[in-house]
Amino acid sequence: MDVTNIAAGVTGSLGVIGYGLAAVGPGVGVGLVVSKTIESIARQPELAARLQVTMWLGIAFTEALALIGLATPFIFGK
Amino acid sequence: MTQHTLGASQLFKRVLGWGAILIGGIALLASLLGWLLVGQRGLVSALIGASMAFIFVSLTALSVWIGGKLSLGGFFGMVMGGWLLKVVLFLVLVGVLKRAAFIDGPTLFLTLVASILGSLAIDSLVFFRARLPMGE
Repeated sequence: MDVTNIAAGVTGSLGVIGYGLAAVGPGVGVGLVVSKTIESIARQPELAARLQVTMWLGIAFTEALALIGLATPFIFGK
Repeated sequence: MTQHTLGASQLFKRVLGWGAILIGGIALLASLLGWLLVGQRGLVSALIGASMAFIFVSLTALSVWIGGKLSLGGFFGMVMGGWLLKVVLFLVLVGVLKRAAFIDGPTLFLTLVASILGSLAIDSLVFFRARLPMGE
Protein backbone atom coordinates (compact mmCIF):
# COMPACT_ATOMS: atom_id res chain seq x y z
CA MET A 1 0.00 0.00 0.00
CA ASP A 2 1.56 3.31 -1.05
CA VAL A 3 1.44 6.60 0.81
CA THR A 4 -1.36 8.05 -1.38
CA ASN A 5 -3.69 5.19 -0.55
CA ILE A 6 -2.92 5.45 3.16
CA ALA A 7 -3.53 9.23 3.12
CA ALA A 8 -6.83 8.74 1.24
CA GLY A 9 -8.04 6.47 4.04
CA VAL A 10 -7.44 9.10 6.75
CA THR A 11 -10.66 10.54 8.14
CA GLY A 12 -11.39 13.14 10.84
CA SER A 13 -10.08 16.61 11.50
CA LEU A 14 -6.78 17.54 9.84
CA GLY A 15 -6.45 20.24 12.49
CA VAL A 16 -5.55 17.56 15.04
CA ILE A 17 -2.45 16.68 12.97
CA GLY A 18 -1.56 20.38 12.87
CA TYR A 19 -1.86 20.73 16.66
CA GLY A 20 0.29 17.62 17.06
CA LEU A 21 2.98 19.09 14.82
CA ALA A 22 2.77 22.36 16.76
CA ALA A 23 3.71 20.43 19.90
CA VAL A 24 6.35 18.16 18.31
CA GLY A 25 8.58 20.89 16.83
CA PRO A 26 8.99 22.99 20.00
CA GLY A 27 9.19 19.75 22.03
CA VAL A 28 12.28 18.73 20.06
CA GLY A 29 13.62 22.30 20.33
CA VAL A 30 13.23 22.49 24.12
CA GLY A 31 14.77 19.01 24.43
CA LEU A 32 17.82 20.17 22.46
CA VAL A 33 18.19 23.36 24.52
CA VAL A 34 18.01 21.41 27.78
CA SER A 35 20.35 18.62 26.64
CA LYS A 36 22.99 21.12 25.52
CA THR A 37 22.66 22.98 28.82
CA ILE A 38 23.21 19.73 30.74
CA GLU A 39 26.29 19.01 28.62
CA SER A 40 27.64 22.50 29.24
CA ILE A 41 27.01 22.32 33.00
CA ALA A 42 28.76 18.92 33.10
CA ARG A 43 31.78 20.49 31.39
CA GLN A 44 31.83 23.68 33.45
CA PRO A 45 29.76 23.33 36.65
CA GLU A 46 30.89 26.76 37.87
CA LEU A 47 28.85 28.36 35.06
CA ALA A 48 25.62 26.54 36.02
CA ALA A 49 23.71 29.66 37.17
CA ARG A 50 24.59 31.60 34.06
CA LEU A 51 23.80 28.68 31.75
CA GLN A 52 20.42 28.11 33.42
CA VAL A 53 19.40 31.71 32.79
CA THR A 54 20.63 31.52 29.19
CA MET A 55 18.67 28.29 28.77
CA TRP A 56 15.52 30.09 29.92
CA LEU A 57 15.81 32.56 27.03
CA GLY A 58 16.20 29.65 24.57
CA ILE A 59 13.15 27.90 26.03
CA ALA A 60 11.11 31.14 25.96
CA PHE A 61 11.70 31.56 22.22
CA THR A 62 11.04 27.90 21.44
CA GLU A 63 7.86 27.65 23.48
CA ALA A 64 6.48 30.82 21.88
CA LEU A 65 6.15 28.76 18.70
CA ALA A 66 4.28 26.07 20.62
CA LEU A 67 1.86 28.55 22.20
CA ILE A 68 1.14 30.27 18.87
CA GLY A 69 0.73 26.90 17.11
CA LEU A 70 -1.58 25.52 19.79
CA ALA A 71 -3.73 28.68 19.72
CA THR A 72 -4.45 28.39 15.97
CA PRO A 73 -7.82 26.62 16.55
CA PHE A 74 -9.14 30.11 17.41
CA ILE A 75 -8.62 31.25 13.83
CA PHE A 76 -8.52 28.07 11.71
CA GLY A 77 -10.68 25.59 13.57
CA LYS A 78 -14.41 25.36 13.01
CA MET B 1 16.88 48.80 32.80
CA THR B 2 20.39 49.99 33.54
CA GLN B 3 23.40 47.86 32.76
CA HIS B 4 24.95 46.46 35.90
CA THR B 5 25.62 43.06 37.40
CA LEU B 6 22.35 41.33 38.25
CA GLY B 7 21.64 38.17 40.21
CA ALA B 8 19.29 35.65 38.60
CA SER B 9 16.55 36.58 41.10
CA GLN B 10 16.75 40.27 40.22
CA LEU B 11 16.72 39.42 36.52
CA PHE B 12 13.57 37.32 36.82
CA LYS B 13 11.85 39.92 39.02
CA ARG B 14 12.65 42.51 36.37
CA VAL B 15 11.42 40.24 33.52
CA LEU B 16 8.15 39.52 35.33
CA GLY B 17 7.59 43.18 36.24
CA TRP B 18 8.26 44.60 32.79
CA GLY B 19 6.37 41.69 31.20
CA ALA B 20 3.32 42.44 33.35
CA ILE B 21 3.43 46.13 32.43
CA LEU B 22 3.78 45.43 28.69
CA ILE B 23 1.09 42.74 28.56
CA GLY B 24 -1.18 45.00 30.64
CA GLY B 25 -0.70 47.71 28.01
CA ILE B 26 -1.37 45.26 25.18
CA ALA B 27 -4.49 44.03 27.02
CA LEU B 28 -5.78 47.59 27.34
CA LEU B 29 -5.16 48.42 23.69
CA ALA B 30 -6.51 45.10 22.41
CA SER B 31 -9.64 45.26 24.57
CA LEU B 32 -10.32 48.80 23.34
CA LEU B 33 -9.89 47.71 19.71
CA GLY B 34 -11.88 44.53 20.35
CA TRP B 35 -14.69 46.55 21.92
CA LEU B 36 -14.79 48.97 18.99
CA LEU B 37 -14.54 46.33 16.23
CA VAL B 38 -16.40 43.31 17.63
CA GLY B 39 -18.23 44.51 20.74
CA GLN B 40 -18.32 42.88 24.15
CA ARG B 41 -17.03 39.53 22.82
CA GLY B 42 -13.95 41.31 21.49
CA LEU B 43 -13.27 42.96 24.87
CA VAL B 44 -13.60 39.68 26.78
CA SER B 45 -11.48 37.78 24.24
CA ALA B 46 -8.69 40.35 24.35
CA LEU B 47 -8.57 40.22 28.16
CA ILE B 48 -8.57 36.40 28.18
CA GLY B 49 -5.88 36.25 25.46
CA ALA B 50 -3.58 38.64 27.32
CA SER B 51 -4.15 36.80 30.64
CA MET B 52 -3.36 33.42 29.03
CA ALA B 53 -0.16 34.81 27.49
CA PHE B 54 0.94 36.36 30.80
CA ILE B 55 0.28 33.21 32.81
CA PHE B 56 2.05 30.89 30.38
CA VAL B 57 5.04 33.16 29.75
CA SER B 58 5.45 33.88 33.48
CA LEU B 59 5.30 30.18 34.35
CA THR B 60 8.45 29.57 32.28
CA ALA B 61 10.39 32.32 34.04
CA LEU B 62 9.06 31.19 37.44
CA SER B 63 9.97 27.53 36.83
CA VAL B 64 13.57 28.49 35.92
CA TRP B 65 13.78 30.95 38.84
CA ILE B 66 12.41 28.56 41.47
CA GLY B 67 14.17 25.54 39.89
CA GLY B 68 17.48 27.42 40.10
CA LYS B 69 17.27 27.17 43.89
CA LEU B 70 17.03 23.34 43.70
CA SER B 71 19.58 20.66 42.85
CA LEU B 72 20.39 20.11 39.17
CA GLY B 73 17.91 17.20 38.90
CA GLY B 74 15.24 19.28 40.64
CA PHE B 75 15.93 22.16 38.29
CA PHE B 76 15.42 20.14 35.13
CA GLY B 77 12.44 18.32 36.64
CA MET B 78 10.84 21.65 37.47
CA VAL B 79 11.53 23.20 34.05
CA MET B 80 10.55 20.20 31.91
CA GLY B 81 7.65 19.15 34.15
CA GLY B 82 6.40 22.72 34.17
CA TRP B 83 6.61 22.84 30.38
CA LEU B 84 4.65 19.60 30.00
CA LEU B 85 1.99 20.73 32.48
CA LYS B 86 1.72 24.07 30.72
CA VAL B 87 1.18 22.58 27.25
CA VAL B 88 -1.49 20.18 28.54
CA LEU B 89 -3.23 23.01 30.43
CA PHE B 90 -3.06 25.22 27.36
CA LEU B 91 -4.61 22.50 25.16
CA VAL B 92 -7.46 21.98 27.64
CA LEU B 93 -8.07 25.75 27.84
CA VAL B 94 -8.11 26.07 24.04
CA GLY B 95 -10.52 23.12 23.80
CA VAL B 96 -12.90 24.71 26.33
CA LEU B 97 -12.68 28.31 25.07
CA LYS B 98 -13.00 27.34 21.40
CA ARG B 99 -16.59 26.29 21.98
CA ALA B 100 -17.47 29.25 24.24
CA ALA B 101 -20.05 31.64 22.80
CA PHE B 102 -18.46 34.71 24.44
CA ILE B 103 -15.16 34.29 22.55
CA ASP B 104 -14.13 36.01 19.34
CA GLY B 105 -11.38 33.73 17.99
CA PRO B 106 -9.33 36.18 15.89
CA THR B 107 -9.25 38.82 18.67
CA LEU B 108 -8.09 36.26 21.24
CA PHE B 109 -5.47 34.82 18.86
CA LEU B 110 -4.06 38.20 17.83
CA THR B 111 -3.91 39.45 21.43
CA LEU B 112 -2.18 36.23 22.49
CA VAL B 113 0.39 36.46 19.68
CA ALA B 114 1.06 40.17 20.33
CA SER B 115 1.50 39.51 24.07
CA ILE B 116 3.85 36.56 23.48
CA LEU B 117 5.99 38.49 20.98
CA GLY B 118 6.04 41.53 23.27
CA SER B 119 7.12 39.47 26.26
CA LEU B 120 9.87 37.83 24.16
CA ALA B 121 11.16 41.29 23.31
CA ILE B 122 11.15 42.23 27.02
CA ASP B 123 12.91 38.96 27.93
CA SER B 124 15.64 39.58 25.36
CA LEU B 125 16.04 43.23 26.30
CA VAL B 126 16.38 42.53 30.02
CA PHE B 127 18.67 39.55 29.42
CA PHE B 128 21.06 41.29 27.04
CA ARG B 129 21.23 44.47 29.12
CA ALA B 130 22.02 42.57 32.30
CA ARG B 131 25.53 41.35 32.97
CA LEU B 132 25.06 38.17 34.91
CA PRO B 133 27.63 37.14 37.49
CA MET B 134 29.63 33.99 36.67
CA GLY B 135 28.18 32.14 39.70
CA GLU B 136 25.35 32.66 42.19
